[in-house]
Amino acid sequence: MTHTPPGYHGRYLHVDLSTRQSDTHPLPADVLRRFIGGSGLGTWLLQQHTPDGIDPFAPDAALLFVFSPLVSSPLTTSAKFAVMAKSPLTQRINDSLSSSHFAIAGKKTGNDAIIITGKAESPTCLVISPESVRFDPAGDLWRLSSHRASERVREQLGKRFHVASIGQAGENLVRYATVSNDGRHAGRGGLGAVMGSKQLKAVAVTGDRLTTYAHPDELIAYSKDLSRKSFGPATAKYRELGTVSNLLTFNRLGTLPTRNFQQSEFADAERLAPETMSVTHERTRASCAACTIGCEHIFHLSSDAPPSPRATARGSAHGESGVRMEYENLFALGPLCGISDPDTVLRASQLCDELGLDTISAGGTIAFAMECAERGLLDVPQLRFGNGDALLQTLRLIGHREGIGDLLADGSRLASQQIGQGSEDFAPHVKGLELPGYEPRTLQTMALGFAVGTRGADHNRSGAYQVDFSNQVDRLQASPDDVRLAIETENEAAIMDSLILCKFLRGVFDDRLAAMAEMLHLITGWDINTAELQETADRIVTAKKSYNIRQGWTPAEDTLPQRFLTQAIPDGASAGASLTKDALQAQIQAYNLARGWTPDGYVVDESSVK
Amino acid sequence: MSITVEFFGIARQRAGVATIEIEADSLGAAFDELAGRLPQWSTACIDDGHLKSTFLANVNSRTFITNRSHRLNEGDHLLILAADVGG
Ligand code: SF4
Repeated sequence: MTHTPPGYHGRYLHVDLSTRQSDTHPLPADVLRRFIGGSGLGTWLLQQHTPDGIDPFAPDAALLFVFSPLVSSPLTTSAKFAVMAKSPLTQRINDSLSSSHFAIAGKKTGNDAIIITGKAESPTCLVISPESVRFDPAGDLWRLSSHRASERVREQLGKRFHVASIGQAGENLVRYATVSNDGRHAGRGGLGAVMGSKQLKAVAVTGDRLTTYAHPDELIAYSKDLSRKSFGPATAKYRELGTVSNLLTFNRLGTLPTRNFQQSEFADAERLAPETMSVTHERTRASCAACTIGCEHIFHLSSDAPPSPRATARGSAHGESGVRMEYENLFALGPLCGISDPDTVLRASQLCDELGLDTISAGGTIAFAMECAERGLLDVPQLRFGNGDALLQTLRLIGHREGIGDLLADGSRLASQQIGQGSEDFAPHVKGLELPGYEPRTLQTMALGFAVGTRGADHNRSGAYQVDFSNQVDRLQASPDDVRLAIETENEAAIMDSLILCKFLRGVFDDRLAAMAEMLHLITGWDINTAELQETADRIVTAKKSYNIRQGWTPAEDTLPQRFLTQAIPDGASAGASLTKDALQAQIQAYNLARGWTPDGYVVDESSVK
Repeated sequence: MSITVEFFGIARQRAGVATIEIEADSLGAAFDELAGRLPQWSTACIDDGHLKSTFLANVNSRTFITNRSHRLNEGDHLLILAADVGG
């Protein structure tokens, strides 16, 4: 295969901030077919551009923006891109996806990916178009929120530019800082801090380079049909209530992480539920670029909401009254920290957006600190579960790396290593990445997904919770017999994240892999079937594992914090639910063997993932 | 058998109530009873006597059930949930 397939430009751009040089490199057609785009292609590229054992903050560490064959197509929810790097939070591979016009404009620069290495001498805005790569000074943007910085860049360069930028958390190397774009965030794993380490405040992209489609008429017809289906009952939950509607369901099933995973039900959940907040707070809806579903539910702060501790004196007015709420920021800044006041949760989410903080890791790390303080392991009297003022103040301190915030800016794993005294047992992370809002003792297929996840505890790379929410397994009894089901969700995510397509579309397909093969066929012309996509998914997951092994992974990392393996859920609907180390280990070993790896998880044959 | 049906998310939107007490000794009987009591919910959520694929049924926060003949006991709580719990 030598020709670049339709849907691709067949090249990537490499920019070196240290030398201010840039050049393009071809992407072989067979690599595109074997790794597709987004997360898959990014994994292949990251393999080529990551020296073993490199510090994620070292100038030579690579930061990637990766597009995909679906970007710019008429397929709904396809305006997505992957930001990738070795994570400063986990020291492992990190792919964080986002969705905005940045994806479309970035691909129109004429590149399937942009790789950035080096470190700028001073704050810089990288300006990329098909004709040029510029290194604009960004001293006046430093210390602005990502939203204000993006606005400023677009005022200067014109609205045809779209911008990915960092807030103060990224500048201050908070290890869970986000990369923000059009109000959306590549949230997990601290890739905003990697940008900050390069003194790269923003990346602005524009272009007019289009790719072709192998079967344009059929693609348009398919896209129209998909859009029509996306208005149907399969996505009603996302359109009408949003992901926040998980809250009451999870609470009722006793699977809602509460007070740093000490409980799995939150007595005040009703106050935070969208069903209640829709009555007490004005709500509007929005969507990502090129999306017909529109799952974003923006809640507006009530007039008597607590004042916002602003990010800086020059801080942002972004979202002064409107805050996008998702289940994950609601759970992490609400029940996980024992907070039941809706306005405090909204303020906290808003502050995370302004500073550029991943809400899951921020909430998880603060909840951990609250438990440490309550146990007398940290001398911070105000840090108590349920103290909203302390939550807001601590977020600000983290973003600025001031006081206790400097310790917590490194995430719960490193903070627990500093605090010691047994706190490591209840630091809520896997491989350094804080757990999302799925209690693993009550969702034991998901527990496996968390433990083996290559980017750490993660609900986007493993959808094993879907298996637990079904009659296929007993969600309170881990079984090695169920690992195949967990692998299926992991493989499906690997393909969706490489196409890239929104996972909230999942319900509209009768046969998801077949649908994805069809989309790829219409765009690229490849004669591709579900068996090949399964192989591709296996390859991508194994390539990520292989990357981690080169960066120092050991089998001991594939586990859960001791709390989950030694303590039962104390009360509520899941009272008594427990997961033993032996049961988890049996699952992990079965998983490794099913993946074709050694029993303890080493990749046997690396040649297929190169 | 007196049981409590609890609705969550879209199922609650369609039902217009959060909970309802009904008499039913099986999952199928519960759906049939709900068809009379909450016809708008039944139209939106039931297809040919079964929950549509976008919904799940759970008993007492513990067991997910699909079979219409699944026995329900006095005092059971039948939860009707969204099938997609992605966050
Ligand atoms: S469904 Fe939601 S997350 Fe997915 S593309 Fe649409 S607005 Fe974005």
